Amino acid sequence: MSKNEEKKLRKKAAILSAKNGIREGIIDFLKKSMDRNIFDAVLIPMRVPADDSFTYVLIRDKNLLKNAFPLPPVMSIQGGKAVSSITRLGKSNIKIAAVMRPCEIRATIELTKLGQTNLENITLIGIDCPGVLPLSDFLNNPEEGMRLFDDAVSRWDDRIMRPVCQMCDKSSMIVGDLHIGFLDAEKDSFFIISNSQKGSDVIDKLSITPQADISSWQTKVEKISEKKHKKREETFRELKSKIDGLDNLLDTFSQCISCHNCMKVCPVCYCRLCYFDSDKVKHPPEDYLERAKTLGSIRFLPDTLLFQIGRMIHMSLSCVSCGSCEDACPMSIPVAQIFSMVADETQSMFNYVSGRNLEEPLPLTTYKEDELHEMEDTHG
Amino acid sequence: MVKALKINKDSEQAVIDLLKLLLEDNRIKGVLTLKKINKKGDVAYTLITRPDELDDAVPFYPLMPINAGKLLSRFTLKGKTREPIIAVVKPCELRGFIELVKRNQGNLENLFFISSTCGGVYPIKMAVDGVVKNNLSRYWDAVKKNENAADLRPACKGCEEFIPYTADMTVDLIGKNDLDKQCVILLNTKNGEQLVRNIKLGEFIEGELDKEKLDKLRVKREKEKKKIFDEINAKINGIDGLIDIFGRCIGCHGCMRVCPICYCKLCEFESPDSEYTPSNYELELKKRGGLRVPPGILYYQLGRLTHVSISCVGCGSCEDVCPVNIPLTSIFKKVGESVQELFNYIPGRNLEEDIPLITFEKEEFAEIEE
Repeated sequence: MSKNEEKKLRKKAAILSAKNGIREGIIDFLKKSMDRNIFDAVLIPMRVPADDSFTYVLIRDKNLLKNAFPLPPVMSIQGGKAVSSITRLGKSNIKIAAVMRPCEIRATIELTKLGQTNLENITLIGIDCPGVLPLSDFLNNPEEGMRLFDDAVSRWDDRIMRPVCQMCDKSSMIVGDLHIGFLDAEKDSFFIISNSQKGSDVIDKLSITPQADISSWQTKVEKISEKKHKKREETFRELKSKIDGLDNLLDTFSQCISCHNCMKVCPVCYCRLCYFDSDKVKHPPEDYLERAKTLGSIRFLPDTLLFQIGRMIHMSLSCVSCGSCEDACPMSIPVAQIFSMVADETQSMFNYVSGRNLEEPLPLTTYKEDELHEMEDTHG
Repeated sequence: MVKALKINKDSEQAVIDLLKLLLEDNRIKGVLTLKKINKKGDVAYTLITRPDELDDAVPFYPLMPINAGKLLSRFTLKGKTREPIIAVVKPCELRGFIELVKRNQGNLENLFFISSTCGGVYPIKMAVDGVVKNNLSRYWDAVKKNENAADLRPACKGCEEFIPYTADMTVDLIGKNDLDKQCVILLNTKNGEQLVRNIKLGEFIEGELDKEKLDKLRVKREKEKKKIFDEINAKINGIDGLIDIFGRCIGCHGCMRVCPICYCKLCEFESPDSEYTPSNYELELKKRGGLRVPPGILYYQLGRLTHVSISCVGCGSCEDVCPVNIPLTSIFKKVGESVQELFNYIPGRNLEEDIPLITFEKEEFAEIEE
């Protein structure tokens, strides 16, 4: 496909009705798509039976769609993990639409590059993301949390959202096959924007006219991204002063209890056996004692910081700043903010944005003869 | 009555002084205890070999950042320590370690244990908020008065196993009005006695725990436990209740990772057995119309419950670490105690007691046969 053709595809957008609200509009669109056999099933968040949280559900029975929540107030499960759970061992034989936030789609794309998902027969549908509430805040009072979230979304006010969401400058990034945009759309409607042949085919099959002008949506998105980008720089400035140097880093991670929840919920940490859970980190008693004797004492278990930095090195090029790690940390360490900051720096070195495009190879799998000379200079 | 060491000092300081002397005399080569690890006052388990490093030790700090049983297992997993080490641990941590030793996940040789009558600990979330240190005086007041301190973890509020079973030394803390002036360390074992023989600290006396006083606390704790169990019982009513209570689980498996009993190298629920092919999903989808992804939340929780309940020491770590506040310890402890009662088994009570599932009795559970 030529660059021009690709551009044309990207611009293909249609307006869909949302008379009964955006949620109903999206559900209606999904239902119609299932009616026309465009999709056999939909992967989308739903409330759990106790109504106190949300989870991804793969829906085949159209009647269940009425309970779907395309924009739940929390990210209890990262969507990338959900797609990987279904397709890690092979391609799906049924056609699935996965409705997720942009950072979840970006994680899915990274996982695909890493060979952990198979996107054949999967259509990724992204959506303008207002952010999510910190999981623990929501769980303390789910009813109130829902009310606060709805209210904040209606004003597109991110102040009660997670810190990592407040500074997310990719909250409307078009990364899936389709993107649902409702920022600045006419009342009672939303845009469905195609971003790939797969997405374009969906619009065609639904026989909707893809002639919407999304320039006002684009302007709004740019404005929001700009604002959030400023917030991002501000947050990183503050964060940097707090964690700069080894002593500050140690202090920041001092309360880590090595539960590895962060790793377990991270969509990018896919290793079957993490190095830091392997036999490599289990030593005979005399080794621990020798280390203690050198310093007078060692924290036990040792190497808390080694785990954090090791994990950072392993995944920062693919980190999508989704915030799951911070949500799952029982010690409330600002781990997502720190990882997000480092990820920005490592990714920009390679002009790489994790999950932006499936065609962009992972930087560590490519070789360029002419790059990173500044490192050579420093290290001779 | 057993032999005891009486030191006229604040109990925590007295234990620190004793540990220092033991290190200086080369009677031991290392100490595992809670210690302040930075200026902020964060507390973590630390392996100490140099006496002055004990200055910041807080052996009886009311916090369990990680169950020390798990740490001691890591320390001796690859073999016994050749040099003698002493660990200051809470009764449930010691029981956790004994269960792990029964499973060949640790080695007791050359390890000494100091424990105490335990007043319980605060939720780790209070350490995050930095408020444990503000509560210390209130905590110790409650311990002196033979009461539960406010805001303890539910696991501790209802814990009746607050007297250590197998410690070499037990520090008498609960209900001891003068614990900030005088420390009594009971020397329960020959090993313990030998370790401190002729030590130049305090005086040797005959001593014992005040059983009557401790029974009063036990009654209070029993009441608390009943309350907690009744609440859980009301919530978990059949499969629907289970789905309701575990529905919010995010599958992080933090509970398993911090559990002193969950020692498996590869958990069944993280193994290829728990991964499903797309056709598995499709088949299941045909039956149900909708399927939670990733699946198996309840299967994991009930599976883990089945695996650990016989040895669950009710230490509270799982509940502490759960990012979605599922009352895990209350559930696991309730089920654990019911299972343990069937076999008259108290996990970690005695190294010589075999784990019930590896013993066979010809005459038992006839009622289940019927």
